[in-house]
Amino acid sequence: MTPQDLVIRMLPPFGGWLALASLALPDGSPLRGAAVAAFLAVGPGAALVRVCGPALRARGAEGPAERRDADFAHHSDLLERIMLAVLLSVSAAILLSTVLIAAHALSGDRVLLTLTLLTTLAAFCPALRARPAPGTTPRPTPGTTPPAASGAASGAAPPTRKGSTS
Amino acid sequence: MPGQQVPDTPRADEPPAHDSRTREEPTPHTTREPATGAPATRPARALAAWPAVPLLAALALWGYAVRHTDVSALDDYGLVGALHPTFWVGLAVLTAGFWFTVRDPRRRSRWPLAHVLGLLVMERATQALLYPTPLYAWAWKHDAVVDHLLTSGGLQDADRLGDMAVYDQWPGFFAAQAALVRLLGVDNAAMYMAWWPLVSSVLLLLPLLLIYRTFTTDRRLIWTAVWLFCVANWVGQDYFSPQSVAFALHLGVLAVVLRRYSSRTSGSSGPSGSSASSGSDGPKGLDGPDGRGGVRQGQAVWAVLLSLLVVAVVVSHQLTPGMLVVTLLALALTRRHRDWLPLVTTVVIFLAWCLTAALPFLSAAMPDMIRSVGDVGANVETGYGTTPTGAGAVAMSWAARLLSGSVLLLALAGVLRQRVLRRRAFPLLLLAAAPLPMFVASSYGSEMIFRVLMFMLPGAAFFAAAALLPRVRASAAEAADAADAAARNAERPSGPSRRRFALPSFSPPSPPRLRYGAWLAPLVLLAGTLAFVPSYSGKDRINYFPPREVALVQRLFDQAPDGSLVVAANRNYPLAYEQYWRVDHYWFLDDDRRHVDEIVRDPAGVLARDMAAVDAPARAYFLLTQGQTANSEMNGQLNEAQLRHVRESVAGSPRFERVAENSAGVLYVLKPAS
Repeated sequence: MTPQDLVIRMLPPFGGWLALASLALPDGSPLRGAAVAAFLAVGPGAALVRVCGPALRARGAEGPAERRDADFAHHSDLLERIMLAVLLSVSAAILLSTVLIAAHALSGDRVLLTLTLLTTLAAFCPALRARPAPGTTPRPTPGTTPPAASGAASGAAPPTRKGSTS
Repeated sequence: MPGQQVPDTPRADEPPAHDSRTREEPTPHTTREPATGAPATRPARALAAWPAVPLLAALALWGYAVRHTDVSALDDYGLVGALHPTFWVGLAVLTAGFWFTVRDPRRRSRWPLAHVLGLLVMERATQALLYPTPLYAWAWKHDAVVDHLLTSGGLQDADRLGDMAVYDQWPGFFAAQAALVRLLGVDNAAMYMAWWPLVSSVLLLLPLLLIYRTFTTDRRLIWTAVWLFCVANWVGQDYFSPQSVAFALHLGVLAVVLRRYSSRTSGSSGPSGSSASSGSDGPKGLDGPDGRGGVRQGQAVWAVLLSLLVVAVVVSHQLTPGMLVVTLLALALTRRHRDWLPLVTTVVIFLAWCLTAALPFLSAAMPDMIRSVGDVGANVETGYGTTPTGAGAVAMSWAARLLSGSVLLLALAGVLRQRVLRRRAFPLLLLAAAPLPMFVASSYGSEMIFRVLMFMLPGAAFFAAAALLPRVRASAAEAADAADAAARNAERPSGPSRRRFALPSFSPPSPPRLRYGAWLAPLVLLAGTLAFVPSYSGKDRINYFPPREVALVQRLFDQAPDGSLVVAANRNYPLAYEQYWRVDHYWFLDDDRRHVDEIVRDPAGVLARDMAAVDAPARAYFLLTQGQTANSEMNGQLNEAQLRHVRESVAGSPRFERVAENSAGVLYVLKPAS
């Protein structure tokens, strides 16, 4: 795992714990608002997208009919991940709040703490990998991580693997 | 063929570098460094940064306008009549800067993005800065719902809340806002909801850009479509409301389906991909028959993520899931997106919610809903109380109609003119057309026409932008496919209907362009951008409630005992639904016309009779504010003179006692019967 991977992996839970710590600031404080809003808007979704990323990429992406440009496609993939991070975060906040209000247990602290714990849990989860069929050797695409790590690439063809990204 | 890719043959459509029809996304080296790869020189860097000039100039003009606009006395033209002229100059400079930036293929996408963000700030943040209180009675109503959830701590039914129980059956947005209010440590959502239009509009950019980038690499087309979407989206569903978030989630689901559930990429059966997957994303080795396990796992993970988005839509808003279903159905009926999983998932989740949590509301509303199915005339008519009245209201209403009509006509022109694009981006055409059948389904409180327009916009804006840009020519692969198809059809004696779809998609040689033609597109863009302001904020006399009006209504709720009744002309005032779980309302202009006429004939007598049923210690209040007067007058109900007559009658009646009065309105209470 590179330092950059580690930062990407740990940034969402760090944001959550920072948001929790910011609750100690006075009511209505802009710093508190910024920390809470930033985490709720991106944190949980970013953690989920990181966990699901490799498996999601097993499904190809439709692209424009014009000449394919590696940068263009890369930027579209990045945009998709950012969109998913934001919309999944918003969805997570909505769904959790709905469950809590239905259970007569809604509180801001509870929502933030639960999302932070889930985000932290996701940060320690290995990424879901696309699983090749037994006895096959997937062909890695330049610029992408081989789907089943080095074992598959060397012909060992592990039937299943859920492991860390590093 | 699944995963098939078009070989990178030299393109027949690739124009010379000087051709204005160059359509590809510029690679970074074209913008930052000269061909030698040496670092860009200072003059080159300065030249690359020139788009900052119009952007900063526009923002400076906007800032000046905001500081010098007085909204204390709005007329029937709303904010349009009050804005400082530099606002319009700023908007024109921004539009011109955007146009000249986006059409330069060497510019990076960050500049069009910066201009679009500048546009959103000028469009959606101006009111937040100008008005000291949040706009829209509906936004205040939603704040009251959030307050209710915070007060009650749970969901309640119609026995306790009456008609307002509907919000407890779609509580997603409100519950999340209740949590946010607590986390921010503010008193209520009114503290930040003035900024919601800007937040929700920026949120839309993410799925919108992804959708457009699925069908073209042409930067001009992508960003002009985004710009047109922003200026044509005047309908005003960006305020503090469930639909503002649900619409973004709806577009997010569609972006995923369009990009990841195409038969060209999913491994399912489908047409041979004349345009295949984007190439960078994912291990293509798994798309073939030797990697089905990985593909299936990927499908399962995508299904889970899509379900999360869909559930969030379903628990938040009534109409958006219906729009999502009809759009997914339209896509699933095409060969290109014949994957039923997103549609079935959405339908199952939607039905599950409707048959459980939302059943009380739906069972009560079902007879009316069934009656309105197929009654298109009634579903699109506006009805009493929604007819713009007065020169200002009529002019603003026509500006909005012209703006929407122009964008839809432009979209039609784009569809007819851009044959290649029509085929490449056919799913976007479906996105624009799919909401139309909802006219048949329901009137949605006389709002269906506006909602349908909003849901059509993502697709319509794309083709409207295409109408403003040079014609797209077919790629070599498309031309070859079309030629093959034409040859096959030529061998058949079958009808011309098939032939229509198989015509080679080469564009005919363009005639020499007229000089003024080059200016037509930016002028249309500018006209649309300027027309947004009257369409969006031309009715601010209705939607803005000055602080003294808020204070007057707040005084009412500060003293009203439980079970009290508030009588007002209509619901267009701040805090209209404040504490709705303990204070009841009667808005007499919502009543039968004959009863309204009775009130006009003898206001104090009829109102006192209507209010007499309130038992002590509850009280019955009469509230008349400037927001109610503006709404009634500008929507063709009672005019100012008639409402003044009502007010004077109540003031002169011994049955009423004045509680409070200021320049924004009056508050009376009915004296207990002796």
